[in-house]
Amino acid sequence: MIRRDVRRLFQLALRRRDRWEREVEDEIKLHLALRTEQLIAEGRSANDAFAEAARRFGPLTESRARLLEAARHRERHMERAEYLSDLKQDLRFAVRTLRRQLAWAVVTVLTLALGIGATTAVFSVVSSLLLHPVPYPGADRVVFVDQQPNMGNKTGMSISILPSTPIVRGWLANNHSFETLEGFLDGGDGWLGAGGSDADRVHIARAVPTFGRVTGVTPIIGRPFSDAEAATRAHVAIIGEGLWRSRFAGDHSVLGKRIVLDDSLYSIIGVLPSAAHLPRPGSAPPDVWLPLDLHNDQIGVSLVGRLRPGVTIDQARRELDSIYVRARPATSKLQFAARVISPARLVHFRDTLLMLAAAVAVVLLVSCANVAHLQLTRSASRGRELAIRASLGAGRTRLLRQLLTESVLLSGLGGAVGVVVGWLGLHAILVARPASLFELGAAHLDGTTLGITVLVTVGCGIVFGLLGAVHAGRRSTHDALKATASNLSRGGSAGTLRGVLVVSEMALSATLLVGATMLVRSVVMRQRADLGFDPSGLYAVDVDFPNRYATESARQRFNAEAEARIRALPGVRSVSVANVGPTGRGFAIGGLEVQGEPPAPLGETSFIDRNEVTPNFFSTLGIGLTEGTTFTDTSEAANQIIVNEGFARKHWPRGTAVGRHIRIAFNGQGTWKTVVGVAADASPSGPTGDMTEPMLYVPHADNSSTAIYFRASGGDGVAQLARSVVRSIDPSLHPTIVSVTAALHDATSAPRFIMAVLSVFTILALVLASIGLYGVMAHAVAQQTREIGIRVALGASRGRIARHVIVRGVALAVVGATLGLIASHWGTKLIQQQLYGVAPTDTLSLVAGGVVLIGAALLACVVPTRRALGVDPMTAIRAE
Amino acid sequence: MMNRLPVLKGTLDVLVLRALSWTPMHGFEIVTWLESAAKGSLDLEDSALYQAVYRLEERGLVAASWGVTENNRRARYYSITPAGRSQLRAETRNWMHYAETVTNILTAPRSALPSATT
Repeated sequence: MIRRDVRRLFQLALRRRDRWEREVEDEIKLHLALRTEQLIAEGRSANDAFAEAARRFGPLTESRARLLEAARHRERHMERAEYLSDLKQDLRFAVRTLRRQLAWAVVTVLTLALGIGATTAVFSVVSSLLLHPVPYPGADRVVFVDQQPNMGNKTGMSISILPSTPIVRGWLANNHSFETLEGFLDGGDGWLGAGGSDADRVHIARAVPTFGRVTGVTPIIGRPFSDAEAATRAHVAIIGEGLWRSRFAGDHSVLGKRIVLDDSLYSIIGVLPSAAHLPRPGSAPPDVWLPLDLHNDQIGVSLVGRLRPGVTIDQARRELDSIYVRARPATSKLQFAARVISPARLVHFRDTLLMLAAAVAVVLLVSCANVAHLQLTRSASRGRELAIRASLGAGRTRLLRQLLTESVLLSGLGGAVGVVVGWLGLHAILVARPASLFELGAAHLDGTTLGITVLVTVGCGIVFGLLGAVHAGRRSTHDALKATASNLSRGGSAGTLRGVLVVSEMALSATLLVGATMLVRSVVMRQRADLGFDPSGLYAVDVDFPNRYATESARQRFNAEAEARIRALPGVRSVSVANVGPTGRGFAIGGLEVQGEPPAPLGETSFIDRNEVTPNFFSTLGIGLTEGTTFTDTSEAANQIIVNEGFARKHWPRGTAVGRHIRIAFNGQGTWKTVVGVAADASPSGPTGDMTEPMLYVPHADNSSTAIYFRASGGDGVAQLARSVVRSIDPSLHPTIVSVTAALHDATSAPRFIMAVLSVFTILALVLASIGLYGVMAHAVAQQTREIGIRVALGASRGRIARHVIVRGVALAVVGATLGLIASHWGTKLIQQQLYGVAPTDTLSLVAGGVVLIGAALLACVVPTRRALGVDPMTAIRAE
Repeated sequence: MMNRLPVLKGTLDVLVLRALSWTPMHGFEIVTWLESAAKGSLDLEDSALYQAVYRLEERGLVAASWGVTENNRRARYYSITPAGRSQLRAETRNWMHYAETVTNILTAPRSALPSATT
């Protein structure tokens, strides 16, 4: 039908062109004929008269062309005017029709708005973080480069290794894959100011002098670092625009001024605009930039570069690897592979985001299915109106255009409200986002998102318009005029289509329900998880050491002093020092060798959880020792080690673990250590993985990163006290006292947040699907009023009538639920990463999903059932 | 015979509107009406008239429809639209005012000159 219409439209246009061309020719011919006749009447000869007529008309070829051009111009203009006036008329008519069916229009617009709004909110995040991760020129060729272990990483975490500067220099000198490749370091937070309480926490980054080649950003004032400044590690700084405006009021005389950064003086040589981001999506622009020296062999750096056009990520990675193999230190057996990735892949919740995008697409589909329903219901009742208009001479094309205008107007309204809903939703996401998903902060409603929203909206409008038109146009004018509205809509195909729509809505909702249930269960499991230690009343002191604590002895002195002072506080029962703080993880990297077992092949790497602790760590955290004792000798020579139960069970399933020898070999080197105790399985890093995975504890020796744990009664007041005693040792430090309970709560905030978002989408889909089912059932009951009336008249009981309605509704739901549960088998793969203590095949979640869906279906049937029960046989039978 | 006057651009439009203000006409009728009204003093190619009519039609000042002439020939008849009528009134007023002003200046006595002495 469409094709025929399209063709007809096309032919019409062709004919129209023919028509006015011929008209111009006819007009010229007539003119010449009349003029000739006039001249003959004045007494001229025929030949003479015609020549004179032509002369007066003007040069024939030129004039004809000019007239055709003028006519063409006129026709085009008039066509446009006609089109606009038709459109205006259609719009006016559409507005009038929609106002007449206001409730219907409002439900349609809201349904679309919810679907489009949810999609807009999530797509804003996807677009900001995954599609436009960095604001650099040639962003589609920008890649982030570092290294990762080749094998042995079974931690479930992505471990990245900053390539050392000799490797980086090799890469810079020998690669052909990159247009530009620049080193940088995210320096973390530092303290700006003269020390003490008026210092500001600032974000520091280090970058090579040529970093601007990849960011495309140049200083607002001042200059970039010079090579000499980098090579001499000069104390110069470039400050970010934000800091410049807030701290220096945007003053141009800031150049040459000195700032105190972590106890050292730096001269300001430039100001970089806020567009100078690190290549990490969602990260705030650094406040202070310091020069990075790639000739300092002690450090590792990150890299960001722009690939040459045509070079793939894979080619670049292979080239870097081959350069690395040639350049790496001969002694090193550790295998690191270059990691060349798009900055979008640095968003660690990328998979989750894609899962949410899939979920939101489901919501959109459900809302579209609902709108399709609404459209079907309506076009059935409009069949007569359209038939009348057709019989009054409205062409098919004209009617189609009218229907399309109406439906595009409707979906346009839905889209507009949807963008507002999406904007609100995005803000809700931003407000509620947990700190661990800081990248979300960069999400905003951008042009790409709006463009796609417009496309979806217009697409919906056209599809639904056509659906309505096809449906309404299927029957002939004659039939439609004869039939009543209710007869019309009983049509088998529309009924089937409605059933298919509602079943798919139910199936989609069921899939979401299963996923959401699994996430809810995971969150509950996380909260109830036995972590093997007692977090209540447990605190940890976290200190960022500034440069002055560069030496091990200075840090050790400080730690010892802090430990002693905290121990002396009232209410503090136990203090212990560990290398890894709450919710953190540390790893022993190397080859694990267990005496009595064949040694690991040279070069094989494993990543085993490892912590350096003082002897009373176990008693402080409440981790029991199932065998042996805690460290009795923490001197460097002692070589004592404690393993967890999981480790002991794995390697010595029979017999004792105490007295056994193990070592972590790095390049075949490493001292053997003696197991002195076995600690109960515990997971101080929180509910992240399997507690029974191997874990090693060694005596605390490295003071570079230290957490002082203490257990106290007396609540957070003790924490305040602890903070002040730590500061009394050195007032320029900014220690934070972390409640382990709070830290664990924060660590699980991301899963809770994701669960909440998915739950909202699920509820949305479920409500929409229920409305859809309600619509179908209400429609069915309305159609069968007569039939029900006859049944009642023939003595059918109320129970029978109710069963008749409910069975049909529940049957649709059951079919939908079954399909949905089958589909969830694939759907849950997307959320596997988020699950904790729940298998992706969790029966309870499947059952719960099905039950909730059927419950919602029953609810949706309540009103239609009551309506069916309320049918009065006499009125119903007489009605037609 | 007087010199024939070239028609100023834009003026032809208002002359056509004037022609159509009596009754709908086809192209040749408009031409002959203009010729007789101008008593042969207008210098105009016939084709220029059709161009003017098309322009007016595009602007919605005249409307066209096919009709039959006295001699039973199919011809495109043009009629003035309400918009065309108000345009004609406005243009006529402008033209009169303009012509009057120019005439006044050209026939002004010497005394109207501003005094050049200080």
